[in-house]
Amino acid sequence: MFSKALSCELLWDAAVSGVVVGRQRWILSTMQKYGPELVTMLWRILGNEQDVCDAYQDTFLQLAHFEGGRKPDHVKAYVFRTANNIAVSMLRRRMAERNRLSGPIARTEATASPAIEVDSEYLQEALRRRIAKLPEHLRNVLALRDLAELSYAQVGRILGISPGTARVYRCKAIQLLAMWMSKEE
Amino acid sequence: MTRHWGAEAGWLQSHISSCPRCQRRLVSLGKVNLALSLMKARPHSLSLLMRANEQAIGVLKHGLRAEPQAARLKTTLPEPKLVERCGRYGHSVGHLAACVTVLLLMKIGVFSSMDTFQTEGQEIMRQYYARQVGQDLAEDVFPAQTKQSSSGNPRGVANV
Repeated sequence: MFSKALSCELLWDAAVSGVVVGRQRWILSTMQKYGPELVTMLWRILGNEQDVCDAYQDTFLQLAHFEGGRKPDHVKAYVFRTANNIAVSMLRRRMAERNRLSGPIARTEATASPAIEVDSEYLQEALRRRIAKLPEHLRNVLALRDLAELSYAQVGRILGISPGTARVYRCKAIQLLAMWMSKEE
Repeated sequence: MTRHWGAEAGWLQSHISSCPRCQRRLVSLGKVNLALSLMKARPHSLSLLMRANEQAIGVLKHGLRAEPQAARLKTTLPEPKLVERCGRYGHSVGHLAACVTVLLLMKIGVFSSMDTFQTEGQEIMRQYYARQVGQDLAEDVFPAQTKQSSSGNPRGVANV
């Protein structure tokens, strides 16, 4: 009697997991289709391989748990926006941590030296800090257009705006970044 | 349009050279563009996609992890896009397309038709000259044409 119940339970489990796998196979297809572009975008935003892997993992974890495993209507938009948000959150956390660990003296030294200003690492980090501070609508366009290298039409489709608006947002984002970079001097 | 209103416009360049505020703005814009270019130019390791896929698949349901597609993703390496791969053949493809177009035009007789139009035009001009100034002068002006037309008149244009 006990063995019969056990075998029934096992059969039920196998059937349920088979159905779930069948229903969520699209996650692997999404990973295959958009994975390379996502990794490139995350790498450019974060600049650290372990952080890229973590952000990528979180993105697909959120995708798998979207409304109880339902496939979003626009998978590409969901994946890119989620990855972008996760990456920026990580970037902000990293910046806060760095600020806490290194005191105000170290920060002043880093910006004071003119030789450091032309250093590529310094420039990239400075830009990342400012990208994290941009308003969300400008930051999304900049990340998708410049870091993920998507066309304005694709950016517009992902964010639900027209390509013209995406162009304007990108221009504003660049102007804002330039202003912040010049103020730092 | 670009010559007058673009970044290379003379009036804009001369203004920038004398305006310190615009110079500062241009420098800071250049700095942002340079930083963006540096971010794009810095490559990641070849195995990053593989590792990211492996880590992401590790948190999915057991059934999905056992899928053959998951095993393939764990060993996937980034591949250049089709446009990037075909980019180096762009010039060759352009030359080939030009050759094919010329051959096609020859095949459908566009060049021979153009030649015929030219010949007939010259013939009409020769006839006009012959009528207006006389046959001798017309033969002086169109010597080759006269010889050609005397040897044969393929389109049946009437001689005066």
